[in-house]
Amino acid sequence: MKIRDFDALNDIRETGLNKLLRGGPRIGVGMGTCGIGNGAQDVYEAIKTAMDTKGVEARIVPVGCFGYCAAEPLVNVYIPGGPLVILAHVIPDDAPYIVEEIVAGRIPVRKALCRIDAWDHLTGHVTYGHGFQEIPHWDEIPFFRGQKKIVLRNCGLINPEDIEEYIAVGGYFALCNAFQKPSRDEVIDEVQKSKLRGRGGAGYPAGMKWALLQKAVADRKYIICNADEGDPGAYMNRNEIESDPHMLLEGMLIGAYATGAAEGIVYLRAEYPLAVERLEKAAAAAREAGLLGSDILGTPFAFDFRLVEGAGAFVCGEETAMIASLEGRAGRPRPRPPFPAESGLWGKPTNINNVETWCNIPVIIACGGSSFAEIGTSNSTGTKVFSLVGKIKNTGLVEMPLGSALKDIVYGIGEGSPTGKRIKAVQTGGPSGGCIPAMHFDTPVDYESLGTLGAIMGSGGMVVMDEDNCMVDVARYFLEFTHSESCGKCVPCRMGLDESVRLLEKICNGDAEASDVEKLEELMPMIRSMSLCGLGQTAPNPVVTTLRYFRDEYEEHIRTRRCRAGVCEKLYMSPCENSCPLNMRIPAYLQLLKEDRIEEAAEIVWLDNPLPASTGRICQHPCENRCRRADEDAPVNMREVHRYIADSAFAGDLIVRVRERLLENKIPPTGRRAAVVGSGPAGLTAAFYLTMLGHDVTVFEEREEAGGMLRYALPEYRLPKRILNEEIGVLEHIGVRFMYRQSLGAGLALDSLTGEYDAVFLATGTWNETQGGITGENAPDVWHAIAFLEQVARSHRPVIGGNVVVIGGGNAAIDSARTAMRVGAKVTVAYRRERSDMPAITEEIEAAEMEGAEFVFLASPQRVVINEKGRVTGIELRRTRLGDFDASGRRTPVSTAEFFTLPCDAVIMAVGEKPDPDPLRQAGIHVRDNQTAAVHPNTGETNLRGVYAGGDLVSGASNVSSAMATGKAAAHAIDRSLTGKDNMDLVLKTFSFRNIVPAEPEGGDRNVSPVLGVGERRDSFDEVVLGFDAETALQESRRCLRCDVKEQCADREGALKEPVS
Amino acid sequence: MTQADEAPLSEEQLSEVIARYPDRTGDVLSILERLQEMHPLNYLPKETLIRVAEAKRLALSNVFSVVTFYSFFNLCPQGRHTVTVCRGTACHTRGSNLLMNGLRAEIGGVWADGQSSYTTPDHELSVHTVACFGQCAMAPVVAVDHEIYGRMSEMKLRQRVRQLVRKESNDEDS
Repeated sequence: MKIRDFDALNDIRETGLNKLLRGGPRIGVGMGTCGIGNGAQDVYEAIKTAMDTKGVEARIVPVGCFGYCAAEPLVNVYIPGGPLVILAHVIPDDAPYIVEEIVAGRIPVRKALCRIDAWDHLTGHVTYGHGFQEIPHWDEIPFFRGQKKIVLRNCGLINPEDIEEYIAVGGYFALCNAFQKPSRDEVIDEVQKSKLRGRGGAGYPAGMKWALLQKAVADRKYIICNADEGDPGAYMNRNEIESDPHMLLEGMLIGAYATGAAEGIVYLRAEYPLAVERLEKAAAAAREAGLLGSDILGTPFAFDFRLVEGAGAFVCGEETAMIASLEGRAGRPRPRPPFPAESGLWGKPTNINNVETWCNIPVIIACGGSSFAEIGTSNSTGTKVFSLVGKIKNTGLVEMPLGSALKDIVYGIGEGSPTGKRIKAVQTGGPSGGCIPAMHFDTPVDYESLGTLGAIMGSGGMVVMDEDNCMVDVARYFLEFTHSESCGKCVPCRMGLDESVRLLEKICNGDAEASDVEKLEELMPMIRSMSLCGLGQTAPNPVVTTLRYFRDEYEEHIRTRRCRAGVCEKLYMSPCENSCPLNMRIPAYLQLLKEDRIEEAAEIVWLDNPLPASTGRICQHPCENRCRRADEDAPVNMREVHRYIADSAFAGDLIVRVRERLLENKIPPTGRRAAVVGSGPAGLTAAFYLTMLGHDVTVFEEREEAGGMLRYALPEYRLPKRILNEEIGVLEHIGVRFMYRQSLGAGLALDSLTGEYDAVFLATGTWNETQGGITGENAPDVWHAIAFLEQVARSHRPVIGGNVVVIGGGNAAIDSARTAMRVGAKVTVAYRRERSDMPAITEEIEAAEMEGAEFVFLASPQRVVINEKGRVTGIELRRTRLGDFDASGRRTPVSTAEFFTLPCDAVIMAVGEKPDPDPLRQAGIHVRDNQTAAVHPNTGETNLRGVYAGGDLVSGASNVSSAMATGKAAAHAIDRSLTGKDNMDLVLKTFSFRNIVPAEPEGGDRNVSPVLGVGERRDSFDEVVLGFDAETALQESRRCLRCDVKEQCADREGALKEPVS
Repeated sequence: MTQADEAPLSEEQLSEVIARYPDRTGDVLSILERLQEMHPLNYLPKETLIRVAEAKRLALSNVFSVVTFYSFFNLCPQGRHTVTVCRGTACHTRGSNLLMNGLRAEIGGVWADGQSSYTTPDHELSVHTVACFGQCAMAPVVAVDHEIYGRMSEMKLRQRVRQLVRKESNDEDS
């Protein structure tokens, strides 16, 4: 039926509203491509079946996507009188429950995500109803808080295949409105007033383009919708067409009317079949309603459009290339002028706008250009839809007013990393865009600000990258893309990108020299300035921005042949090995254990890590964060396996054979002598490797026994001293000498060491407590965490009792809390942020809680309350609230006016440790502002020749494996400097074992170590975590996916038969 | 692979598609897209290109230029099954290169990094890459016989490929 006038349109609006609001319950299933990919089709069928079975009279319709991809499949339920309720993560099995609830007139609250009481479609308004206040309103949940839906105004709420529902929410009324304006100029005026800029990337004012086309004189004019969404990482256009195709048609109709074009073309990529289907259906419905074709809405205006499917060429996003493609040729751009507005498709005046630009038009006409211009910033008006994807918790399509800060999008809407890993950068604008580092996340997202950072708005793709992403690889990835998509017309683009990719590959493969980066830097401006079209002009952006913000990663690839993210495959053995600060050959010891070769397994473990039993208990295990088995079920428990191997060695005579093997592998004596000052993990590691490398090593220790923090700060229940003693015994066996009660600066002079030894390694740690800066901090019952832990470690006797408050959220705080409980105290931990922000190991926090520790969050210490006798009676805390996001993505605690006091008998301050800088300064070593020793980043050498430093002394308080890594690196550097040779590989040896990738994940579920019950452990210092037995260790080893195997025999069975070296 | 499989489309099929797009040479992309989709082996044989060039009064070189410019078109017969790995940015950051490595290891094929597709010699399986499926929220994404699978891992993909091939051989047995 043709709609001839406004009244007829109004009648259809009523019919449409009946479908949305009247006549019983209505269920809408979000069925965009991503919804369907997540199972929405099955959900739709299941709900239908459940309704049929129950004989329920309710309507079920497909709707578009509401944008919250991470919560798919989404279903909305409306029972007349109540709000529209959106259900999340619906699976087919939920269907009977949903239907039952609806039959009973209830909302299936178990699945409810949020509710919508009323919705402003901007072209119309729909009031649903009230009730179910316990379900949050849609704009109260983090993903939607701060979003403003203009383009996505109808998406996920109406049936995209039903023109009546589009009309119900005010659709095609803007077209009526345009027709009713005195002249076409006024339509263009509104668009100009709105200051709408092109949403395809370049941001050219849409109204200006329209005016040019309108003024052009020709027998035929074209308007084109660019829906060739080619930017990898962007999918808003797909969703806009799939969810609300009529809004695009209406926008184009208004544009055609205003500019005098009679024909429109939508150039839509073939990879979006559902968008093609829905747009075709929408066009057919519009034709039938007289909204396309001739005599539109009873006026003399005629317009029709056709859909052309792009065949996969990124460069066709460039307008002149797209025109070439539409004319049936290869899509190569041509120089402008003439601009398409003068001579475009078939030589006729043509205007090309992006999907999203067209979709804004009906709202601008309905609400007025000036009210649109009030949204966003003065130069970037309105909103932009972003696809927030990559390493982010809440993935989805986000529509924000332009000018919103990047951090509000990443940390606010997106809620940061899904895994707790550090977010490093956001890539905006696809291959033409750039990588914005986390330190610039307070930048407002508008065309100019992004440009200043070297990135672009582009089509709105935002790909979040974390510490697992290599920025050199990202640059290579984008250049490979633009290189393969270059049409080949301009030499700087075709050849320049080719050369750039070659250089980037060299860097990623570890074959590059520093001069290669200089060559890249020379090429980039050349490609940018000498290419004809946007592809070539913007292709350098990913390289330029990564070089600007992540130059250290390029340098690391070149100088140390290391890819810390574990992406560049040629530069590492396996992700676990690469992420281990000590580069333990993890797949090797797991495989050797599997092959029942425990002696060699133990040997390789010791060669890589001289404290395998200690680290097997307390390491932060970064390896698990990278383990690819996590993609299947859970990471391999690698740490527990090397603990098992080390513990088994000490349990029998295996250690004897391991020690023999180590001695056999020692380099013959070099006659050189090295001194190590400090016997913590860094010092012990340096001593081990220097000895293995053939040098004569003496360790000087301030205290009466070796081990440093391992002995005096790590509580016995986490690391029994006998284990540490056994490990130090191995060092002594291979020839390390220890001198105790030797304190640098007090009796032990650096001068005399440098005179007597060929090299000195300083690793004296961080034994000074950071002051909390509060009154009463020096009262007798106020302990500093490390001093407290040392006191208990020495005596195991209570030095504290009653109620104890621990201040802090790190490992020292949790160790103090658990230790204080073991000596009889009742403990409360106060931390100024929230639980999820605590830097301590999660398992430790949980264990402390099980043992009875209480936690007070969002509280920062103000003052220790002391009575007239000078004794502590409590601690006054100030309530904090979480403010803005800081550079780490955590919210900064902000003080409030609320104070409260926790009564207590003692306080333990665990707010950080730092080195004692005085002995260093006295010896003439450069000390940084944070009191740590300044060293060369690659060698660890200080400003004094032959004097090296490492461990916490250099890094500030860190963790055991990182400290050990500095000892290992320094030993390597010292050896090279003393011998002029590189003997480290000889010491580390090579091992042979089978290299077969398992066909299926083996070994079953992840094994965890048994632990002592809370009752048994609460009052004792017995070790809590008991470790694997032989069978469990073997089982866990079998779970390894062998990522270290890069090439294996194609014939798997054949490979199995012969033992491979 | 028999001769019959490689036979070009019938004259009726060709004429019907060409007749659907009567006006301009601009429709040549759409015509080629339809014809490729209709071919059981999802490609454009030489005879088809000649026929399209004649019908649209274009030089064969023009048609060839179009076909080789756009990544959608295949000039070689494709496998019975298709695995398409998305190489979009979101998929890349979530490890789609590992999926490619896994496929290489699984089907034993050797193909260069730059090459965007590979078909096994027995025409059982074609592996393609695509710039982006626009399914970024489910990254990494793979399409197996045009059905989208999200959050894919190397192991799962290899299992899926083995299933495809195994299922085929079972079907042939029965």
